[in-house]
Amino acid sequence: MGAFQSGTQGKGIRSMLVLTRRPGQSVYIGDDVKVTLVEIKGNQVRIGIDAPSSVRIFREEIYLQILEENRSAAALSASADIPAEMRGMTKFADRKGEGIAKFTPDSFTVGKKRPPKRRDDEGGHE
Amino acid sequence: MSGAANEILKIKTSRFGELDIQSSAVIDILAGLIGFPQYHKFVMIEYTAPFSWLQSVESPELAFVIVNAAEFGDNYTFELPKGDRDLDITPDDEVAIFNIVSIRPNAGDSTVNLKAPVIVNLRNRKARQVILDDQRFPTRMPLWVDKGEEASEEKK
Repeated sequence: MGAFQSGTQGKGIRSMLVLTRRPGQSVYIGDDVKVTLVEIKGNQVRIGIDAPSSVRIFREEIYLQILEENRSAAALSASADIPAEMRGMTKFADRKGEGIAKFTPDSFTVGKKRPPKRRDDEGGHE
Repeated sequence: MSGAANEILKIKTSRFGELDIQSSAVIDILAGLIGFPQYHKFVMIEYTAPFSWLQSVESPELAFVIVNAAEFGDNYTFELPKGDRDLDITPDDEVAIFNIVSIRPNAGDSTVNLKAPVIVNLRNRKARQVILDDQRFPTRMPLWVDKGEEASEEKK
């Protein structure tokens, strides 16, 4: 995770290690995270990350968005009780499956079964 | 692993006072919620359906309003994380999934985060907040359809 955070977390900018690699070459971060430069195409670089499943890998912009949303949810719920008018239901409202969602081996669905959505370009743990 | 005796824990909360909870009710959010890596232990406290509170066992002030993902119906489907050894979901496990709600000052503007649900393996009480790589799921989906929208849908 450390690498993501360089310079983005507000607490003073850590100096960043910058290395030059050619396609096919890798770097190790610690003993079990391997980052490989897979391909360079125009102004895009594809990287492959081989890491234990306990290491969470996110695109920075999405990670920051979720972090912000979690923090604001905590802050906003700190000030307010759940308002009385918060009953009734949501946009997708479809109130079956009350209670606990069931898991099927390959995909999860809270309603009817649908083809699972593929995570296409997340080269992470292949 | 989960063989510990079920004991009553007293936890302090800023909203609900002191609560007696069963230790078996505590869930362990692996690595914490994103942005809150230091807090792992939570309990779910039922509120007015379909909402619950996700209360930190470790920090009295930290609580989130959550909603059961099942509320979002057929359009909200995704793959569970595979190969997550810590979460350790097997086909026989029951899994609970919930989403975090942001209550806005005007309750009608409240939103729910569909992008980053929390998945709980009810067998081992391990949980993880995952990020779904799917454009259909926003971080801020309005909880309520406004009346104008409903009306225009009916006209179709």
